[in-house]
Amino acid sequence: MSEERPFHSQKSYQPGLVFQPHVHRNIAAGINKLVAAIRPTLGPTPRTVAVTRLDDARKTPEVLDSGGGIARKVIEMSQRDEDIGAMLARALICTQHERMGDGSATAAVLLGAIYRGGVHYLAAGGNAMRLRHYLERALATALEGLDELTAPVSGKDKLAQVAEAICHDAPLAKLLGEIFDIIGAYGQLDVRKDHSRVLRREYIEGMFWNSGLVSRDMIVNQKELQTVYEEPAIVIADFQISDPRHIMPMLELAVDLKVEKLLLIAGELSGDAIAGLMMANGKLKNFAVMAVRGPGMNPDDRQAAVEDLAVVTGGVPLLKVMGQNLRDIRREHFGGARRAWASPHNFGIIGGKGDPRQLRRHVSNLQAQYEREDDSERRGPIQARIGKLMGGSATLWIGGLSESEIEARKATAEATADAMRAAVRDGVLPGGGLSYLTARGRLQPKMNGANDPDERAAYHILYEALAEPARAIYENAGYEPGEVLGRIAQAGDRHGFDVLHGRLLDQASLLDGAAIQKMALKNAVLTAGLALTIDVLVHHRTPEIARDFG
Amino acid sequence: MVTDGKYTLRLTGADDAPFAFAASPAFARDGLCYAACASGLYRSRDGGARWDLLPTSPEPVTTAVAVSPAFADDRSLFAAVKGGVLRSTDSGDSWFTAGFPAPPPVFSSLVASPDFERDGFLLAGTLEDGVFSSSDRGGRWQPWNFGLFDFNVLCLALSPAWIEDETAYAGTETGLYRSTNGGRAWRHSGFPAELAPALCLACFENGCSGSSRLLVGTESKGLLASCDQGDTWERLAPDALSGAVNQLHVDVYDGNTLYGLTSDGVVRSDDGGLSWSILKRVDGLATAMLPLGDVILLGVQGRGVMRLPVN
Repeated sequence: MSEERPFHSQKSYQPGLVFQPHVHRNIAAGINKLVAAIRPTLGPTPRTVAVTRLDDARKTPEVLDSGGGIARKVIEMSQRDEDIGAMLARALICTQHERMGDGSATAAVLLGAIYRGGVHYLAAGGNAMRLRHYLERALATALEGLDELTAPVSGKDKLAQVAEAICHDAPLAKLLGEIFDIIGAYGQLDVRKDHSRVLRREYIEGMFWNSGLVSRDMIVNQKELQTVYEEPAIVIADFQISDPRHIMPMLELAVDLKVEKLLLIAGELSGDAIAGLMMANGKLKNFAVMAVRGPGMNPDDRQAAVEDLAVVTGGVPLLKVMGQNLRDIRREHFGGARRAWASPHNFGIIGGKGDPRQLRRHVSNLQAQYEREDDSERRGPIQARIGKLMGGSATLWIGGLSESEIEARKATAEATADAMRAAVRDGVLPGGGLSYLTARGRLQPKMNGANDPDERAAYHILYEALAEPARAIYENAGYEPGEVLGRIAQAGDRHGFDVLHGRLLDQASLLDGAAIQKMALKNAVLTAGLALTIDVLVHHRTPEIARDFG
Repeated sequence: MVTDGKYTLRLTGADDAPFAFAASPAFARDGLCYAACASGLYRSRDGGARWDLLPTSPEPVTTAVAVSPAFADDRSLFAAVKGGVLRSTDSGDSWFTAGFPAPPPVFSSLVASPDFERDGFLLAGTLEDGVFSSSDRGGRWQPWNFGLFDFNVLCLALSPAWIEDETAYAGTETGLYRSTNGGRAWRHSGFPAELAPALCLACFENGCSGSSRLLVGTESKGLLASCDQGDTWERLAPDALSGAVNQLHVDVYDGNTLYGLTSDGVVRSDDGGLSWSILKRVDGLATAMLPLGDVILLGVQGRGVMRLPVN
């Protein structure tokens, strides 16, 4: 029986400096180890990687086939120099995974090839800074080549093709193709676990927010636990209403304006204020009011929701920052909708009476804001806002034979959905590594025309590296890469190789998200360029945190 | 040219008006046509010479009517009244009602799929509730407004290649929307916002290479045409059509001949919309029109339906 070991390493770092040629050699070893762990997952026939569980090494290991997932599990290398190379690669792979949901294995393979080529050249006397400069120039040329190949994608069948290239799950891809054909790049999609064994989808009309009625006493339809108003007036306030006297001016004005149904969306309502509203419900003829809590978990979310609701309903919101309260209410603070509904946990608006032009401008502004935003944490809420304002949402229910299968498929569906958004927004490229192979055509003349050896080397390194993803895909599927590349070259342009069926086919049948491929290439070149310029490593003593765990 | 027509259906109320016409696909043979009016739905079996009021629903105001493209076999037609769409499977003798969620929608347009016999698909545009679709021959309707920012839909049109491309267009108060998935989701087209509203639409296979031609009638800028499904637009015949173009129809026998109902009256183009001539100036407010080969049905508010013979 083997002895139990603590899961953190016992290694102890010594302070010191490391110089060439050890730096390049050891960084390359770190990069190569991580790339080698991820390379088998590239393509439609991925092999898997088993990872020991961090919390309990005795548990069944996690079996992963996603580059991003594997990289996240690699926390450190035992050799400190290699660790630096591996962590550079890890940062690249994780960023790709988080931003795009796909392309992390491609990025890893490209990084490995570029760095390897670069180290060979530098060992022969090349200049690292100049090589990096020319690599970035070659990158621009390759990206131009990819831009030329990029085509928009639409229609559920084409989108399903893109999804299948990402998730390698035909039934899931078919549903995602249909969903993204409807919701587009920004639409709201919830992926949820289901108790059934199958996949299914559901579309919900109208906009809804995750915030509900302030009191269950306001529920009219007890069976469905919701209240529906036709042609309601809608008042939006972002502050707490504690004094019941403050609601009187709102009710009086509503009655003057012949409002029959009123939806109040407010930051929070005190018990007395709720009682005041309930009293109005009982006493005023042909008038009913319900109140929901303003949506949003933090001030930024709440402000965004108020902005969106104002545009949708056409009502001017009452704002705390303006020093307003409900006594300041005027006619323009009343928005409207064709229908509004509310339950204890959600409320929704259908056919808001806001100006459609303003709504369209608002959505365009949010889309521009989304494009400008690099931080994925901030992009998420913007995308959710746009999704809501599109007027509907989709839910994908993930069923399966076991809990673990459902969990894994749900994770795959979520990652694929992220990648699909990018594909719908930015178009598609020939898949299976073909776009990179084709883009090499743009590098060839520049390589031949370069007089500077560093420049020629940069083009040559990138030219060779761009064939590496295709090679890895063929290898992983059990084919001899040289032979397949030869068959493609013989068949001419516009042909690719279907590794699943072992046949040549039209490039248009294999599709990858363009943004995914471009980002993978861009970040791989930038990371490799940076790593190639590292000349000295400085190690400190064992970091405090490692010592504590050790 | 048209000779002077005469009113074959006289409406008595000042507010009564024909809103839409529809005719049997075999009109030349059976002479069957329908007029949706504020006072109800009328049917003529003799090419519009005589009209009978049909027993549709207690709510008489009928704002749209559509005939099944497979009418010869299924005898189906659809009429939109306030709050619902009625369907008949015996050319209008008896009717069934399909309900809609409250508040009751007001319908502006009804279109049936060219492949209706197989897919049973219908789209209905409303003035405040966007677009509804039915996939079971008008039995049940569901709202499909994903991406539609403007629920004030004034007109609808299906691509002539609908069976392959599932493309539909919705003209609204603030622009033109396009759906490429059978009306399930809408995207704003490149129609210039300053030219909205889009009052009427015609989509036909003529005049563009490899694509259908889309025409949009506007309120004050005449007619606009697109050959790329609404991405780019050019103004057609700005001298001839400068005001409102309220209705557009493609001649049932000649895809190059178009008819329009404008602020000047009934106009015709024999070259796919490039040039137009006035066929008939209208005394009164013309509200609807339908060219049917050698006759044009013209609706005028407060007066009725005029039958214009075309020479």
